[in-house]
Amino acid sequence: MFSHRLILLATPRQIGVLDWRPGHMHWLGEFAADTAGIAAFRQIVVKHAQLPVLLVADTVDEDYRSEILPHVQGHARAELLARKLKQVFRNARFTGAWRQTRETTGRRDDRYLLAALTDADWLTPWLSVLHRERVPLSGITPLAMACQQLLSKLRVQEPHTLLACRLNNSLRLSYYHNGLLRFSRLIGSDTPTQLPGNAADEIAKTQLYLAGQRILPREARLHVLLLDPSGQLDSAQAPLNADPAFSTRLIDMPSLARALRIPDDFLAATPEVAPLAAIAGEAVQLNLAPPELLQRHTEFRWRRGLNLAAGIVAAIGLTITAAYWLHAQDLRDQVQQTQGEAQRADARHAAIVRNFPALATRPDQLGLTLALATQLNRAPLDVNALFMPLGQALSAHPEVVVKALTLQDTADGTADITLDAQLSDFDGNYRAAMSRIDRFVARLAATPGVASVERLTSPVDTAPTATLTGKTTGEAAPEETRFSLSLQVRT
Amino acid sequence: MTPPPIASLKTSMLLLLAAGLLAAAGIFWSHQQDTEARAALQAQQTALHAAHARQEQGRTEARLIAQHIDAYHALIARGFVGEENRLAWIEAVHLANRDARLYGLTYTLSPRAAAPATLAGGLPLKQTRMTMKMPLLVETDLPHFLDALHTRAPGLFRVSRCRLARTTDAPPQPVNRPELDAECELLWFTVVADTGKVQ
Repeated sequence: MFSHRLILLATPRQIGVLDWRPGHMHWLGEFAADTAGIAAFRQIVVKHAQLPVLLVADTVDEDYRSEILPHVQGHARAELLARKLKQVFRNARFTGAWRQTRETTGRRDDRYLLAALTDADWLTPWLSVLHRERVPLSGITPLAMACQQLLSKLRVQEPHTLLACRLNNSLRLSYYHNGLLRFSRLIGSDTPTQLPGNAADEIAKTQLYLAGQRILPREARLHVLLLDPSGQLDSAQAPLNADPAFSTRLIDMPSLARALRIPDDFLAATPEVAPLAAIAGEAVQLNLAPPELLQRHTEFRWRRGLNLAAGIVAAIGLTITAAYWLHAQDLRDQVQQTQGEAQRADARHAAIVRNFPALATRPDQLGLTLALATQLNRAPLDVNALFMPLGQALSAHPEVVVKALTLQDTADGTADITLDAQLSDFDGNYRAAMSRIDRFVARLAATPGVASVERLTSPVDTAPTATLTGKTTGEAAPEETRFSLSLQVRT
Repeated sequence: MTPPPIASLKTSMLLLLAAGLLAAAGIFWSHQQDTEARAALQAQQTALHAAHARQEQGRTEARLIAQHIDAYHALIARGFVGEENRLAWIEAVHLANRDARLYGLTYTLSPRAAAPATLAGGLPLKQTRMTMKMPLLVETDLPHFLDALHTRAPGLFRVSRCRLARTTDAPPQPVNRPELDAECELLWFTVVADTGKVQ
């Protein structure tokens, strides 16, 4: 799409128009350099006004000059070339310079090919049409440059090549050194080149000229390629090959069509499209158009770049948007599936719960309630079990009379027993009474199931911190032997 | 490079600007959609996990119900689950006193209160304190009475404290006259029932 362009082949007598895009080309016709032809050409241009145009000029009035100039860059180079072109071609409007290569020795200067259309008045009507219709002219280049691309497509490897190309009843001889144009001349139809012998003579004369100008080394053998769809140059091959300075071969149309990837019949019908097709997809290396004629093309390139950027931005935005949107749709599908699954799970749960009997508690508390009931059923304060050790000790000490007994559940696996008792008989001998109580306590402490025995009160408190009172009247009562004990019994 | 002819490129620049704005708007909008969908999916997955958990819990509860329902109904019938049945408790202590061939008793029932949390274990367990006083002939009458009460008791109770005290200083006489006072504290336990069908 972005390489779609019109290629014009302009001669002083006519102009041909090729509509080209990669893989496709269409010959729109030739238009004579008269009023009708220009009008018809204008109609064609109007139809394709949005396409960039490359004009290939095929004229006798052209000039080439090889120059070696100092290697400079940027603005300095532009100024240097402008001065040089002005100096060489004086007032020629259509001039151009092509930096071909850089010397490998010495100052490593740049080698330039300077070219100009020395008489380009015949171009003015065509350029006027292009200017009026605001056509983006990408450049004006000589036909020899298009032929250079043709050699490249044909994969010609010889260092010194002379292409003899006969188109529009004119013979163009172009010399290429290592595939780069050095010189070209057009022999018009008004010169006697129609005879094969004359063509061979012209080639020989050109070889002498090139050698004389030191463009072609004297010892070099010139490889001549003959390209003539009409076949009139075929007979020049034999005389040229007879000269050891030449090696000549013909370029047949099928090979050319194959190299250019265009149909045979299309090439046979319009052989002038061959150089145009060769240069169509390439960048213009030698542009003879003055800057003011390229203004539209500059605008065109900026506009195309901006539109391309807008398209890329829009495409990227659309792609990311689509990716996000599709991902969101996928997630929404998953949401719906998950929602359905959750609803089904809820329905299954509801079906399970629906069959539950009426309960006074939560189902998870059923087991807890039962376990609690079992726990509560086990009485921590088993009075019978508590009486057992106490009874055994009291049986062994009948002099101990129980006055009060308190059983207390301590809820930690033991029970507290508080025992208030006294001795049944007392003769005033506190030492003997205390001894009997001590034995009773020792007996209790030794009884299985009793964890500890603590004496809370005694008939006589002999602790150094206690206040001790009493009387020694000689009277003794059992009440004076009251004591209390605290027992911890394992339940 | 030749500087751009700005004036003649206004349309293209506006086109680029519009494309950029549209692309940004589209990306923003679709990203919002994606974020919302992601959040919705997260919420639905949480809901699904909850539904699966409920379903599994329902199955577990069904197993628990099948396993414990009979025993639980027995506890309800016994009066452990539900409202407290003070009349039944009073009747039970009265009958137990009679079964032990004792001489009557006095009782006091305190208001129902929450049982200690360590004992309740998360259940709505309540306890009602009953204080009883009764005369006894001998110490072994007390375990006889408590055994009889365990037999007669319609609910669950625990003996919290008992005190036996001799009423006279005279030595025990072989006559049928109670000389011991017994004071016991019982704790009657009940589990408060929830109302309605469990979901």
